[in-house]
Amino acid sequence: MNSTTWWRRLRHEAARAWIIAEKDIRIYYAKPPVLMWGIALPFFMFLSWSVGRNRPAGALIPGLIAITVFFTASSIGPVVIPWEKRVRTFERLLTAPVSLSAILLGKTLAGVVFGLAVTLIPLLVGLALGARITEPFILAIGLVLAAGAFASLGILFSTFPSQNVGSVMMPATLIRWPLLFVSGVFVPLSALALWGRALAYLSPLTYANDIIQQAMGGQGYLTPAVDAAALLAFWVVFLWAGLRLHELGRRRGL
Amino acid sequence: MDQAIEVAELAKTYNEGQRGVTPVRAVDRISFAVHRGETFGFLGPNGAGKTTTINILTTLIPPSGGTARVMGHDVVTDAYGVREEIGIVPEISNIYEEYSAWDNLMFTARLYGVPKGERERQAQELLRAFGLWEKRSVLSAGFSKGMKRRLCLAMGLMHRPHVLFLDEPTSGLDVQSVLVIRDMIQRLRAEGVTIFLTTHNIEEASQSCDRVAIINYGKLAAVDSPNNLRAAFSGMQSVEVAFRNGDASAVDLGALPSVREVRHNGDKWRLYTDAPGAVIPAVVDWSKASGLDIASLNTLGPSLEEVFIKMTGITPPERPADGGPERGPGRPGGGQRRMG
Repeated sequence: MNSTTWWRRLRHEAARAWIIAEKDIRIYYAKPPVLMWGIALPFFMFLSWSVGRNRPAGALIPGLIAITVFFTASSIGPVVIPWEKRVRTFERLLTAPVSLSAILLGKTLAGVVFGLAVTLIPLLVGLALGARITEPFILAIGLVLAAGAFASLGILFSTFPSQNVGSVMMPATLIRWPLLFVSGVFVPLSALALWGRALAYLSPLTYANDIIQQAMGGQGYLTPAVDAAALLAFWVVFLWAGLRLHELGRRRGL
Repeated sequence: MDQAIEVAELAKTYNEGQRGVTPVRAVDRISFAVHRGETFGFLGPNGAGKTTTINILTTLIPPSGGTARVMGHDVVTDAYGVREEIGIVPEISNIYEEYSAWDNLMFTARLYGVPKGERERQAQELLRAFGLWEKRSVLSAGFSKGMKRRLCLAMGLMHRPHVLFLDEPTSGLDVQSVLVIRDMIQRLRAEGVTIFLTTHNIEEASQSCDRVAIINYGKLAAVDSPNNLRAAFSGMQSVEVAFRNGDASAVDLGALPSVREVRHNGDKWRLYTDAPGAVIPAVVDWSKASGLDIASLNTLGPSLEEVFIKMTGITPPERPADGGPERGPGRPGGGQRRMG
């Protein structure tokens, strides 16, 4: 494939990925499982964590933002893909002239847009309550990369071999809770023991929380560049693993 | 290139190499070709390998062995090329119910890269042809089964494919939808579109298809025109008789000379025989002797359905003990299989 053909193919695939993302945005954002797992869950989780704490509401906002983008962006893949497999619209995509990578990238983009759109709510509420953004560029980069990493984590969850949304969300939630608790959202990384920090580094939420804290005037543990690089790496690795597992499922006729 | 689809030694085994799971051979080294512009029927009982074959040809799953090419593109090494050439209408209408008919067509067109002006013209034409123009802005979730099926077919045609895969296109639909879809199939044939059709409706295959393939247990039992298949089973001739008054008895009719099997369908009796010329006078004599008036008397060749049943070894469900004295020969193939 020469460079012109390669470039044309890349543009074609990117355009198709966006068409798929746009369709998912229009169709699935208002689905009850998305609203429940993506919005209601992080909201009530935050309430249970923050109510009764002697900290100004503004200081809790970076953590809330990290939790929100984590749950919202990662909830699109495991809802939409099993749903589409069940009603067989996923087959429609698989038999169209578009690669599986572009299909999954489209689903990821839908998760990114959903994660960022819903995260605007706690961000605006936080600003109204006195939180401030000290590094807008870092915050923007951090949110986009975090949404990408979490949305591709959702793609990985969606490889669970079931066409039932509930059956996929159950293990997805079981994995998301530990990732949340080891992430440094509740206990700062600096206060964790060595083994606790080692565990925290396994969670992409750790880096998202760290970079958002720093962008909103808080203390970080790692540099924003390290956080951004780690989130980008999680994005690529989760998407790659999701792609491989979806291909394996297709070979097995799942 | 005269062939639209070329299949050689195609095989698919599920659960291959998985520990503790028995491999299942769904398609067993089948070979056939579909000519360009041909309407090709693919028939077989449930579990015979039809869907697996379609899934391989439409690049949904890779084969375990052999090769398949669609419009010259290999389904494994050039899946992208195959997908640009084909349109698919699966058995379950996989439309986006949250979209209107118009939005479904627009999404499909964009996915296949149909230019904007052309996509709107094409959508309008298809919606009118399928009787959906008035409902173009209504959410398709509220459509009837037939309307969803018509929309699904319209989506399959948005990019003007050269090969169209139709899986049970008219199964369970209302009469209007069946007529619209059959009419569209005829129009596509006239336009030279290659159609690969699976159907439970053997008579539909007989009327619509230039050739049919019969697949059973993953192997091809026959590939030929419906007429040639029927001719190959000329021994399955029958005499069909209806009586105006009174009831005939299967035992009496079965006892007539040269009658192999008797079946009672509605008000007609069908007597299977190798010698219809001998059976007709025997039926006439017997009816006179029994005081029955003959309302109609016809000789029939085997239907494609009978050929299909013969080749696949499907047996009808067992009748209850008091279900009548009908007698018939044992069928090859042993256990009962539903047709499908």
